[in-house]
Amino acid sequence: MDSTVSETGRAVPVWAAYKTDAGVFDEMLDLSSQPRTGCEAVIDTLFSMPPAQFAEICASADRMFRRMGVTFNVYGAADGSERIFPFDPIPRVIDAATWGTLEAGLIQRVRALNAFVADVYGDGCILSDGVVPRDLLLGCPQFRRAAVGIKPPLGNFVTVAGIDLVRGADGRFYVLEDNVRTPSGVSYVIENRVVMMRLVPTLMRASRVRSVERYPADLLQCLKEMSPSGKSNPTIALLTPGPFNSAFFEHVFLSQQMGIELVEGVDLVCVDRKLYMKDVHGLRQIDVLYRRIDDDFLDPLVFRPDSLLGVAGLTAVLRAGNAAIANGVGTGVADDKAVYAYTPAMIRYYLAEEPILPIVETYLLRDPEVREQVLKNLERYVVKPTGASGGYGVVIGPKAGEKELAETRERIINDPSAFIAQPVIALSVHPTIIHNGSESGMKLSPRHIDFRPFVLLGAKPRVLAGGLTRVALREGSLIVNSSQGGGSKDTWVLEA
Amino acid sequence: MLRRIASHLFWTARNLERAEWRARLLDVNYHLLIESPPRDAQPWAPLLAIFGERELFAESYTTADDASILNFFALDTDNPNSIRSCINTARNNAISLRHYISSELWLDLNTLYLNAQEWTPELFISPGVFAFFADLKDSFYRLSGIRQSTIPRDIAYDFMQLGIMLERTEDVSRMLDVKYHFLLPRLEDVGGSLDILQWAAVLRSASGLEAYRKRFGNSIRIDNVVEILLFDPTFPRSARFALAMLATSLNRIKGQAPEPSPPSTQLEELLVLMNSKRSLEVIKSGLHQFLIQIQDGCAALGDEVFQRYLKVD
Amino acid sequence: MLLRICHTTRFEYQMPAYDSHNEVRMRPLEGANLRCLEFDLDLTPDASTVEYDDYYGNRVYGFSIHAPHPELIVAAKSLVECTPGPPSPAIPMPFGEYLLEDHARNRTEYDFLNASRHVPFSEPMRRFFWLARPDPSEDVAAYANRTVAFVRDQFVYEPGMTKVQSTADEILSVGGGVCQDFAHLTIGVLRLAGIPARYVSGYLAHAAKSKAETVGAQASHAWLEAQLPGWGWTGFDPTNGCMVDERHIRVAIGRDYSDVPPMRGVYRSHGGRQLMSVELKIDPQPELLRPIDPSSSSNQQNQQ
Repeated sequence: MDSTVSETGRAVPVWAAYKTDAGVFDEMLDLSSQPRTGCEAVIDTLFSMPPAQFAEICASADRMFRRMGVTFNVYGAADGSERIFPFDPIPRVIDAATWGTLEAGLIQRVRALNAFVADVYGDGCILSDGVVPRDLLLGCPQFRRAAVGIKPPLGNFVTVAGIDLVRGADGRFYVLEDNVRTPSGVSYVIENRVVMMRLVPTLMRASRVRSVERYPADLLQCLKEMSPSGKSNPTIALLTPGPFNSAFFEHVFLSQQMGIELVEGVDLVCVDRKLYMKDVHGLRQIDVLYRRIDDDFLDPLVFRPDSLLGVAGLTAVLRAGNAAIANGVGTGVADDKAVYAYTPAMIRYYLAEEPILPIVETYLLRDPEVREQVLKNLERYVVKPTGASGGYGVVIGPKAGEKELAETRERIINDPSAFIAQPVIALSVHPTIIHNGSESGMKLSPRHIDFRPFVLLGAKPRVLAGGLTRVALREGSLIVNSSQGGGSKDTWVLEA
Repeated sequence: MLRRIASHLFWTARNLERAEWRARLLDVNYHLLIESPPRDAQPWAPLLAIFGERELFAESYTTADDASILNFFALDTDNPNSIRSCINTARNNAISLRHYISSELWLDLNTLYLNAQEWTPELFISPGVFAFFADLKDSFYRLSGIRQSTIPRDIAYDFMQLGIMLERTEDVSRMLDVKYHFLLPRLEDVGGSLDILQWAAVLRSASGLEAYRKRFGNSIRIDNVVEILLFDPTFPRSARFALAMLATSLNRIKGQAPEPSPPSTQLEELLVLMNSKRSLEVIKSGLHQFLIQIQDGCAALGDEVFQRYLKVD
Repeated sequence: MLLRICHTTRFEYQMPAYDSHNEVRMRPLEGANLRCLEFDLDLTPDASTVEYDDYYGNRVYGFSIHAPHPELIVAAKSLVECTPGPPSPAIPMPFGEYLLEDHARNRTEYDFLNASRHVPFSEPMRRFFWLARPDPSEDVAAYANRTVAFVRDQFVYEPGMTKVQSTADEILSVGGGVCQDFAHLTIGVLRLAGIPARYVSGYLAHAAKSKAETVGAQASHAWLEAQLPGWGWTGFDPTNGCMVDERHIRVAIGRDYSDVPPMRGVYRSHGGRQLMSVELKIDPQPELLRPIDPSSSSNQQNQQ
């Protein structure tokens, strides 16, 4: 790639034209273009690289990902091609003090969410005490009546959580969404780190970045702690829907890293209320199943009868206490978008603490007064469907056209409890390499990012020191996920 | 090891072996036809007979000429045992094996698969056809080499061996059966004048011409051909060698069972059959009958392996 | 009255079934007017059962049969005692007043006030409700009775017009159905009116004294219960246009049929179909002059 040549004839660094914007929070530079805490080393090293070297780093990363086979899945495609989740080599840095607050907030949050799930499938105290409306919960399609009566080991319904965070214009982290069913993405976190260590080893060592490689060992430990039988070496397996699932790479990755068997529904059978896998030498009992399929497909006897992804009789096995699954049946009640509005109340109710991490202000449209307010200024809000809505997408008010707003208004009026509204958050931005194919080759440009750290709940909570930072590669876009033009960055949590 | 995975390993390996045999037979017979004009009106009949595909061929093709035969054997995906079909099946079984086989093996197999999707009948137009077969042979050698040097000799390797060796035993005996039938219709012809080219071609199909010469010298005799292809314990493509490899892998698999289990009766019978005979005696008492016994034995052993280790449902 | 019930379901498989997992809801549900004195589940092929109470309090029996089998016979045998009891005193209440508590009721009886799989709040259902909607001055219990009679009048009882998976929309569209459909439709109307209504599956025995013409007598039957002021959960049989009496033997309750199928199962086979046949016998037993004493060695059968 050619470097940009200024009038003086000297090569211009890729970040020459980088500008920060007053309306959004830039994660690396403050408004006077000074590096934020912890970002100095990265800026000094990377930002002064000549474009050619940058290009080499990007190409190198791409080669490494391909060789490692870190793809997201297009197995089904006739040409057998596989795509690499685009990677940006400028790392996102979180200083130790900021991380300390995040970590405490995440642990607090997941403990409360787990307590909530255990409560609603148990005594339902938070409902009888009127803190969360009972009808809201019962109307949630993820509330699984079959899970009432299942008592998982350690009382843990939630074992693995991925909490989506965003940073607002005020620089504060807000919880955007909880994912406590089958959160994915951690394999990219680990592989991104492997690549970064090879790309910029000196910079990494100098920055004193906390390691993420322990995650599979920690996850395995949590799964072992979930074993009901108290065996010293319980048998753990990972249940995958199979190679045609977009997250299959991660299922293979984690099962290999943990040294556990990767199973599909067809490999399993329940006999005498115990769970087994079909080994060449006979049946092998499974104590803990890390399942990456949705509740609907888990047990054809209780849920969808046409499911081939799960195993008949699993619910009876869980009820009998002869095996545990992670995450438990019915955890989806905790990541419903309407229930989300009550999460600060949950933290106060179960932990008697004030929430450390704020949520985004959420308006429940089932309330007529609230609804009226929102409908008056619909173009200013983000409208999201709750679990009860059955499949509508998110509508971003300021970006929606007249027709879309009118349709949304219609839907809200027809079924108000199916929607919530939130104010639009100006997501923080991060310097990202943009290949603009023009003569200048590439440049650094601010792009919106979010953050998904991972929390494990075993005998005690553990938070991965890092997480998946996703970046929206299209200018101005807020959409960060892989299927719609997103990419990722390595996330560096610094030692104190 | 999960039964489903064992099944995938078995069928990936077996299908690649099958594809390789077909490629070799097709290659050698094609060369034969070029070098010497055909004796009879149906030069491809033996090949169809070896694979038992006469009827299947007749269903979709009206004439058995070079073009249709090559298409049927190599490209036709309606033929479940065409070279392309076998490669497709092997690769599709291997998708679930990404974490049991090396990435190099997967990449190489996937590359072969992607190339096979691009094959067209135009490839078989001389002189390109020679390059095609040469490349294909190389692909199989490379796959075999990668497998041998990257797969640890564990239970995954053993299940692949079961598939390969079972297929090899069946294919070599089937090939001998048909060639013997077509080339030597009368018992009196044994030891008499032979179609040297034809028998040399049989040996070449198994890459055994040099091995033959090393052991028996330049003169090609039927009983020696049968000896090397069926009974030679050192030649890699002989039935006896294949069965010995199969026995090693099967016994290793059994040895890892938590409880001891009875030995495989089918395997025992096959081994007795192979280890006790010599080619002359077999030819005298009836080569065809003997080869049928081998094939039946292989089918029965395949069933036994399926029931005991691979069956999931 | 004392009834001995034998409910036998037989499955024949064209290709043998194996890895069969099942849940049975056939144990009569005890209540104010019903005691279940004995219950046995006989299975052929033999299998051990595991019991638990589901979300709605129905006793579920689970069993699995792994070996291949050409047929499965499930025989549920019970001895029940039905005693007609005096109902709780009714509390007259007009709808205007009743609906003031609608929000609160929606919290406690959510499942029985909202749509469910077989009872959708669809266009046809809403239109039908509109035809039968209550007046604010109308008494709630009277409205329930009126609705039951209305449904009975508007639709014809006829097997074959609908299927087991049909929702209430089906009977609305074809004009007739079986007891399952009558129950679903009535439940839909009551729920839209704001009255909690739940689905009941069970048996309908002959009347103790007479064998008067009853639709679906001596058979598996479906009806509903509505929660009325004062009376509490009150049974209605819309197929017969009446309130339930001692002939109605409750087995299971839920939101609709999908919560209470007498038997639900999955199995594997190498193809072929499953043929099902059902036999039900309900036999009145001679009444005992004394209450049954489990400790006495001889239970004398007394003459009528």
